[in-house]
Amino acid sequence: MIAEEPRIDATRVTELAQALEAELARLIVGQKELVRDTVIALIAGGHVLLEGVPGLGKTVLVRSLGQVLSMSFARVQFTPDLMPADIVGTNVIGETDGHREFRYQAGPIFANLVLADEINRATPKTQSALLEAMQERTVTVGTQTRPLPSPFFVLATQNPIELEGTYPLPEAQLDRFFFKVLVPFPTEHDLLEIARRTTGESTPQLKAVADAGAVLAAQRIAREVPIAEHVLAYAARLIGATHPDRTELDSVRRYVRWGASPRGMQTLVLGGKVRALLEGRYNVAFDDLNAVARPALRHRIFLQFEAEADGITTDRLIGELLEHTVKEPARD
Amino acid sequence: MSSLEAILRELRRAAARARAARYAIHGLVGAVAWIAAVLLVARLVPFERRAEVAAIGIPVAAVLIVIAWSLRRPSATVLMALADIRLGLKERLSTAWERRAEAGPMDGALRQDAMRHAAGAQLVSAFPVRVNRGEASLVAVLAIFALGLAVLPNPMDQVLAQRQADRASQARAAKAVLDAQKKVAAGKASPKDPQVEKILQDTQAKIREADSPRKALESITPAEQQLQRLTDPGTPALNSSAQNLANALSGTAAGRAAAQAISGSPARGAQSVRDLASQLQNLSPQDRQELAKALARASQQAQNSQMRDSLSKASSSLQSGDTSAAAQSLNDVASQLDSLQAQENTDEAVASAINGLEAARQELAAQADRDASGRGAQANPSASPSASGSSSASGNGNGNGTANGNGNGTGTGTGTGNGNGGSGGTGGTGSQGSGSGSGTGAAGTERVYVPGQPVPGQSENDPTPLGPGQDVPLSPYTQVIQAYQQAALDATDQSLIPGSERDLVRQYFSQLGEQSQGAR
Repeated sequence: MIAEEPRIDATRVTELAQALEAELARLIVGQKELVRDTVIALIAGGHVLLEGVPGLGKTVLVRSLGQVLSMSFARVQFTPDLMPADIVGTNVIGETDGHREFRYQAGPIFANLVLADEINRATPKTQSALLEAMQERTVTVGTQTRPLPSPFFVLATQNPIELEGTYPLPEAQLDRFFFKVLVPFPTEHDLLEIARRTTGESTPQLKAVADAGAVLAAQRIAREVPIAEHVLAYAARLIGATHPDRTELDSVRRYVRWGASPRGMQTLVLGGKVRALLEGRYNVAFDDLNAVARPALRHRIFLQFEAEADGITTDRLIGELLEHTVKEPARD
Repeated sequence: MSSLEAILRELRRAAARARAARYAIHGLVGAVAWIAAVLLVARLVPFERRAEVAAIGIPVAAVLIVIAWSLRRPSATVLMALADIRLGLKERLSTAWERRAEAGPMDGALRQDAMRHAAGAQLVSAFPVRVNRGEASLVAVLAIFALGLAVLPNPMDQVLAQRQADRASQARAAKAVLDAQKKVAAGKASPKDPQVEKILQDTQAKIREADSPRKALESITPAEQQLQRLTDPGTPALNSSAQNLANALSGTAAGRAAAQAISGSPARGAQSVRDLASQLQNLSPQDRQELAKALARASQQAQNSQMRDSLSKASSSLQSGDTSAAAQSLNDVASQLDSLQAQENTDEAVASAINGLEAARQELAAQADRDASGRGAQANPSASPSASGSSSASGNGNGNGTANGNGNGTGTGTGTGNGNGGSGGTGGTGSQGSGSGSGTGAAGTERVYVPGQPVPGQSENDPTPLGPGQDVPLSPYTQVIQAYQQAALDATDQSLIPGSERDLVRQYFSQLGEQSQGAR
């Protein structure tokens, strides 16, 4: 066998991810899964919806990410009176040399990294303006369509409590997010560490470890990771099993109103590819799909009211699906 | 590990070994289950050759397992995927194998990575030779079950032994019929021999093919009836006429030789009568006169009309001196004697055939009796065809009497007997016969009939056919009831009728007896 050298240096992706995670870990205590999922989404080129109660470090994470990536960063605090123009920008009258004309004033969305803080507090009209930009990666104001910078990465946060005066994101718009990552409450050990790090004289200052070019290169490399047919078939089985009319799981038939969309399948595979690279592999394994299944699918599976009444969560159903979906290939 | 192909070869060998062990256990389960099932079925229904059928499950299971083992070999993709899962190789091997011919940006790295990880793994352990504990337990349980079934007494054994005895009995009965058929073929030629042989052949086939001795028995009576229909009822009358002719001629100088020849056999008698006819012209007038009287006397005593006419014409022609007409009439008499010879030959063949059938009946009846009494399985190696039957002989003597006789007995051989009392003729000599009659039975050839179903229109107690012009003898009811009762009870004792049915017959006759006493 002739030794073969990879034509793409996949280790660059691994090194990028490791560098990002290491740098973020200087400020973000614990939350390794949160950081890992965020990095995966970043390299996969997807947007992330972070959900967690206030004070868990969601905003800090995004802000820190903006610091470690030498890319433009913008933060939009979503409030009920926020207008679409406040995000995408608008045409304003300007005067140049005594000559008045309409001039486009770009909104905060024209940044590589956008933090949409408490996205569910804005009206649906404003939310859809953001989400349209997320999907199309362009902004249309008036008659002109303007492309957003690349890479374009939106991290939205939302609070699962204090739902009064909020506008829950519609299912179709939730689907635009690559991952929905739950921000867990830190452990006691992590709490101590947080206290130590943040209540001293100085807080750690993060340095940039990657730029937009590195991220874009990593995104291209990630898409080259091969996936075997039977692994791909497993992903398809997994997605199919989230649908009540296709599953063999009683719990899914009983509690799920609508299963994951084909975009869920894309997310699963792409997330798996990035994770494989981050694990130092050149192929997607079942474990990769399983690892990204929850953030990739939890906002794409819509439950019945009965599920809420019984305290059933999508994470629990996904867990059951992962447990029961067959991995071994049929013996043809 | 040099290449993915080498990895695959090693995985194939390991998988083949593992599957062989697994399939061997499958085959063992199948074979033992088959044996247990066969033995179980053999306890519920009579099952011959169960050992062979049970044993055939072993090679069949082995062949099926080998076929399944070779047909269900996993593909290389499946082998790689299974190895990935079982060795924790994170789908490296299967992806690398799938993309072995690809030249994508990462394929080279992927293959190297896969082979590096495969080299550090024990590929054989992906397909361990392992025996499923559940299946092994199942084999043990089934084996114990089958052993128990094989060792414990099987109630169906008795049924099978009975069947075997039935078949042996049927074979012996068929052999008896076959012997009779050979005997007929070897005996004197008769125009009806082919029919007799055909009847015997058909009966033999029916006996062999019958489900049981009882069914086989049902084929014998119709055969006997068919055989009896082949006999000519006018033979006794013709025979009597021939004997009367012999008696009449014995007193004449010219016809003495013919008389002796007729007494010897009808065929020789016919030739002698023809000789006499050709010599009529050479006889003296006195001899002619003497011969004419003897022929007239014989004519008067003749019961056969044709014989009577021919004798009468011969007598009158001689008396009138017309020797040529007399010779013609005597030639007619000779022809009738030839006919008598042919009829006697037929009767002899029929008698032989019926004796053979009767021997078969006894064999089958004995076996059917044993079956009915639950001793059907007991072999009867000493059983041999035995002749039995009732003989009847009839003859006209000087007193114009009729002799009737019945006899039962066993025996073999050829002999002649008297018309009075039970007598055996061709095919056996009856013993312990009983009979009654009057007159002188001057039977030259005794015919032996065995008891059977009466032919249509014929009474069981009146086997002798009546001659023309004879009245049917009538007996009072009270005189015959005892004989009927005895005959019926004897028959029930000898046949397959259960005890309760015998009681019913006995009760029937006792009621008839009471009625007859009341009538008197």
